[in-house]
Amino acid sequence: MSAQIPISTFKPYRGEKARLARAYDYLILVLALFLFIGSFHLHFALTVGDWDFWVDWKDRQWWPLVTPLIGITFPAAVQSVLWDKFRLPLGATLCVAALLIGTWVTRVFAYHYWNYFPINMVLPATMIPGALVLDTLLMLTNSLTITSIFGGAAFALLFYPTNWPIFGMFHQPVEVANSQLTIADLFGFQYIRTGMPEYLRIIERGTLRTYGQYATPLAAFCSALLCSLMYPLWWYIGKWFADTRYLKSI
Amino acid sequence: MKVLFKPWLLALLCLNVLSVLTVPTAQAHGEKALEPFIRMRTIQWYDVQWSTQKFNVNDEVSVSGKFHVAEDWPISVPKPEASFLNISTPGPVLIRTERYLNGKPWTNSVALEPGGDYEFKVVMKGRLPGRYHIHPFFNLKDAGQVMGPGVWLDIGGDPSDFSNTIKTINGEMIDMERFGFANGIFWHLFWGVLAAGWLLWWVRRPLFISRYRMLDAGLEQELITDRDKFIAKAVLAGVPVLVLALNAVTANRYPDAIPLQAGLDRILPLPAQVNAGTVNVDAIKAEYNVAQRAMLLQVSVDNRSQGAVRIGEFSSSNVHFMNAELADVGHMPGKDDVSNNGLSLDNNAPIAPGEQRTVTIEVRDAAWESEKLDGLIKDADSRVGGLLFLYDDVMGKRYISSISAAVIPKFN
Ligand SMILES: [Cu+2]
Repeated sequence: MSAQIPISTFKPYRGEKARLARAYDYLILVLALFLFIGSFHLHFALTVGDWDFWVDWKDRQWWPLVTPLIGITFPAAVQSVLWDKFRLPLGATLCVAALLIGTWVTRVFAYHYWNYFPINMVLPATMIPGALVLDTLLMLTNSLTITSIFGGAAFALLFYPTNWPIFGMFHQPVEVANSQLTIADLFGFQYIRTGMPEYLRIIERGTLRTYGQYATPLAAFCSALLCSLMYPLWWYIGKWFADTRYLKSI
Repeated sequence: MKVLFKPWLLALLCLNVLSVLTVPTAQAHGEKALEPFIRMRTIQWYDVQWSTQKFNVNDEVSVSGKFHVAEDWPISVPKPEASFLNISTPGPVLIRTERYLNGKPWTNSVALEPGGDYEFKVVMKGRLPGRYHIHPFFNLKDAGQVMGPGVWLDIGGDPSDFSNTIKTINGEMIDMERFGFANGIFWHLFWGVLAAGWLLWWVRRPLFISRYRMLDAGLEQELITDRDKFIAKAVLAGVPVLVLALNAVTANRYPDAIPLQAGLDRILPLPAQVNAGTVNVDAIKAEYNVAQRAMLLQVSVDNRSQGAVRIGEFSSSNVHFMNAELADVGHMPGKDDVSNNGLSLDNNAPIAPGEQRTVTIEVRDAAWESEKLDGLIKDADSRVGGLLFLYDDVMGKRYISSISAAVIPKFN
């Protein structure tokens, strides 16, 4: 950063200059929104993918582990730029909102209208509460360390309870074929997916399972730990990516 | 600066379109893409039939049939420990309501046994009108899709007639097409409004250039006001409390919620139908004549049945090569590909009870090429496999053998 200008000499923009600066704000905002809708959504679709697409993939172990871990990446990077350079505490919320816009457009047009799936089978999860906590915590503490540890953990821990009001009802049992299935499983059986055989779902596979019924809290705490590490990593990626050279020359 | 943004805008647009297109769409028809030795020596389908091929929305349709799991399962293909009987459709234009394997209903995947015999039935219900090309097929874990015979289905009627109501264990009737939709929209809007409120709170004031300059000038404390801090504290404390409260309310409302079910179904094979031991067929040698598109199969037939038998059909990868001499088996409705005189024998005389005979079967048809089965001779595993059907006309019996042999190519 350049040497500080003495406070007495600082003059805010007025008139035409202020209007131009405001126009520039909107231009950047709109571009940023589209950039995040596209890139974060693509990143998310290629990594979290099926866990976020299908109601019968949202298990209590891998879904709450994988989703926040990938979900915290762009928010951390964008926060690092918007907070460091502009003291704007909205990076996480902006990213997650952009992701949701992209996701909803895809679910409605690509999944529902193009591939005929009922939308309730492909409802997206939301991470907005976690993003609000990340933004406010960073703003109030102005500390990367505290936001990493507590913000990252909160982002992961809040994920499952945030989404249970949306998806809990799909976990009611149904008797099908002499066995019990959840309504979510029944969606997977009834609404035929040629490229998605049942066994492809990664439902509670692996060693986390050994702690019995406590799969969700365990997965959430595991995710919290990983998110605390993922957050600073992407913070620095964002910092490295950010470039205010153009601003400096204005 | 505006010029500078144009390529950016284009790139952004591409990115957005790309991100929408990353959907696992209905897969293109891959029936001929799989290596021929996998198509011929894994799931060997036969007697597959559709209850009807023309029906309306909400009408039931079923496909039933049998398959033999080849004994000579290719070494390079993982064993069928998790297999899922699926239907290739362009999206859920039909819904699958019931599925049976050997008479047992099943919903998950199943372990199949090489050498085992199975019969299946899948019941479906029309959902979207149209004309669709549809196959039953097996998704084999780590191996791919082995297609059964395909047909064209005509679904008529009005898509808005479609209904799919099911009953939960608690006795609640639910409409699968709408269940949880309004609730999902509600929560997305609820959190969306909160997010929008937070974003607008900041976006309404001068942003990038002014804030950057002020921060640079050391006026940081003017960028975050006491009011901002108060609101942030309220959000930071309120949001987690709200999330946990709403979670508790939901958990209370659905106390019987269970985790997603992902167990494997266990269904045993039927008593032997193919290679059942009454008429034994052993393949000795196979030669493929590239120019004539003819497979010469030398087999030894051991007839231990009570009557004379004749070889009527060789079927592999849903292509049926029929022996024209047996007129009564010359017509196979609803089959993918029938070659009505694709099969001929060096000796057509019936094989008498107790007789052991070595027969040379010539299976000649362009289908070897058009179905891309001839690629076999260039594969690392060049063994041919298929089902041989033998008939006892007097007793009206059918004997089926799953045979296989290494193929020797002949180029002239
Ligand atoms: Cu086909």
